[in-house]
Amino acid sequence: MTPHDLDALGALTRDYAAFQARKSGLATALGGLMGIVLVLAALSPNFMGVHAMDRLLVEYLVWVPLLWLVLKEAFSRMLYRGLGTVKASPDGGYERKRWLWILGLALFLIAVLLAALYAFASGFLQANQPRAALCPPPLWILLMPLVYLLPMPWTVRGFEEARVYLVLVGQCILWLVPMFLFSFRPPTPPLPSGWGLFGNLTGIGFVALVELVQIWGALAMVRGWKEHREYLALLRSLPRVQEG
Amino acid sequence: MSPLKPDLHAILDLDRIVHEPARLAILTVLAAAESVEFLFLQRITGLSKGNLSSHTQKLEAAGFLETLKAFRGRIPVTSFQITEDGRAALHAYHKQLRALLPKEGQP
Repeated sequence: MTPHDLDALGALTRDYAAFQARKSGLATALGGLMGIVLVLAALSPNFMGVHAMDRLLVEYLVWVPLLWLVLKEAFSRMLYRGLGTVKASPDGGYERKRWLWILGLALFLIAVLLAALYAFASGFLQANQPRAALCPPPLWILLMPLVYLLPMPWTVRGFEEARVYLVLVGQCILWLVPMFLFSFRPPTPPLPSGWGLFGNLTGIGFVALVELVQIWGALAMVRGWKEHREYLALLRSLPRVQEG
Repeated sequence: MSPLKPDLHAILDLDRIVHEPARLAILTVLAAAESVEFLFLQRITGLSKGNLSSHTQKLEAAGFLETLKAFRGRIPVTSFQITEDGRAALHAYHKQLRALLPKEGQP
């Protein structure tokens, strides 16, 4: 057994463990596809025969992130844990290098979400009371980004789970926000009252968010498929088990 | 009897618990993760169940790994975790082996 073989064994173990910690393979690809469909559904006046404003579709869209979380766990159990559970070692050095970046990203997302949701809740929702009945109370919406802060103590201490949690919550919120925003379609001029300059800026933000989700979705599909192929290659590289 | 050459002393000083290829593979895999289930360890090392059990028992007796028993539903699941002593032994073994291997360009 050469040092190269030993390195390869360690690398294989770490790769397999990664599928139980941060890589989701086909679930990531599915998440990307669901993200794209979610935005298209929310933008479309008629999606598969259901009017975009119908309560049924809105409720369906609310549940999509949770549905994805359930599917992700199912995919993980069915596809990526066939050889048993391997818990990844926390990589302290790597996480320490990354935690500032993670904290920065989380704070940025909180700021963007708060601004967008506040504009939406205080401007468009108040100006369109009948439609507001479909949406959770504005205060509840405004509290949503705070879930980003929950794993911060772990993140600072360098836990892998905290990073995964941030990504998961980030994906859920990225889906929920366009759903909240676009199930109440951006108004065309003349703008309703309460939809002033801040509203116009938010409108530009809407478009940016649509593009962001579409790009993220496409990248997630490519990345998920690539991860799945990596996993298949990992399985092929395992030795045959001895008899007896 | 002539005295042994220093290199030969170094070879004989290698930790024989770690030096055995199957046990070296087991420790290497365990060192790459926090805990590893029996099934994965069997698949990645290519060892039979009996062989793997025998080697893990020897490593456990040497204090290099811990066995973790749990249940998944009603199915018992065995996992292993490398100990600090095991990690130190593996590290020392790597260091000794590197010192013994010829440098590049040397015969």
